[in-house]
Amino acid sequence: MGRGRHIRLFPMPTDFEPVTLSRPGEDEVSLLDILDHVLNAGVVIHGSVIISLAGVDLVYLGLNVVLTSVETALRGIRAEEEKRRLE
Amino acid sequence: MIRALAYCGFCHRPEISLPATGVQSATVQAMGEGELRLLWSEVEWPFAAERMQRSAVEFHEVVHHVFRQAAVVPFRLLSLFDDESTLARFAAEHARAFVDDLERLKDCVQMECVIYPAPGRGARDDGSGTAYLQEKAALLRAQDEQVNALRSSLGGLAREVRVREGKNGVRIFVLTERGQEAEFRSAVERVPVSELLSRRTSGPWPAAEFLSERVRAPHVAGAK
Repeated sequence: MGRGRHIRLFPMPTDFEPVTLSRPGEDEVSLLDILDHVLNAGVVIHGSVIISLAGVDLVYLGLNVVLTSVETALRGIRAEEEKRRLE
Repeated sequence: MIRALAYCGFCHRPEISLPATGVQSATVQAMGEGELRLLWSEVEWPFAAERMQRSAVEFHEVVHHVFRQAAVVPFRLLSLFDDESTLARFAAEHARAFVDDLERLKDCVQMECVIYPAPGRGARDDGSGTAYLQEKAALLRAQDEQVNALRSSLGGLAREVRVREGKNGVRIFVLTERGQEAEFRSAVERVPVSELLSRRTSGPWPAAEFLSERVRAPHVAGAK
């Protein structure tokens, strides 16, 4: 195939600076895909945990909450990156 | 504080190689319960906010290291247990259900298509109410047509299809045989996309959308 997998740390929204990590011979995956899958896909252990991501509280309670929280988290990441870029 | 972070479950086969390190560069350990193996690490909790993205990538790498070789049941990042013995109790209680799902999905991967309004073509609310509703209706029609066309084009490639509608588009999950990813992409690319829409394909992923409910959301004693 000859394609490299690129893990782009700020991938889909066009105002994100892309940072690329590549590994030969693997498919391309974006950070957004990774965040979406590691937070939204798979076994969910019910319970409550609160973490803070890029200054934004991410409340992890279950499927529905997480779906919303990822959007919140990505907004937080964008804001954090923008802040870093301006510093 | 130290917690046990679970990555994924898979059916034991001696030839499956395991990753050495995972989130926070912690050693990845394998816990056995009959045929089931659970990968986990001891991690410092809570995660440092500035390392969250890195942790997500590290978590993904562990799961996909095994997924490249076999079917896995992924846990979600943040699936934390108090300690190894709590995770061992979980494994003992749920091993049968995990193995059943892994057997059912052993030759399968999940491919995905996301269909969403083309940039600048989403229903806008800056015009009249009628124009907004007409634009929205056209988008929904185009989305439905795209979903139906994809279903037809995939034909026998799809063992199962699930469609989830969100507020910003439609997500199609397709269970397909491992090794048929390229055919899947070709079949998708043969379907034209309306100018109103954009389409994005990804995969292969673990077949998380096709897990049974008792595996996806297992009852955990003492959980709030």
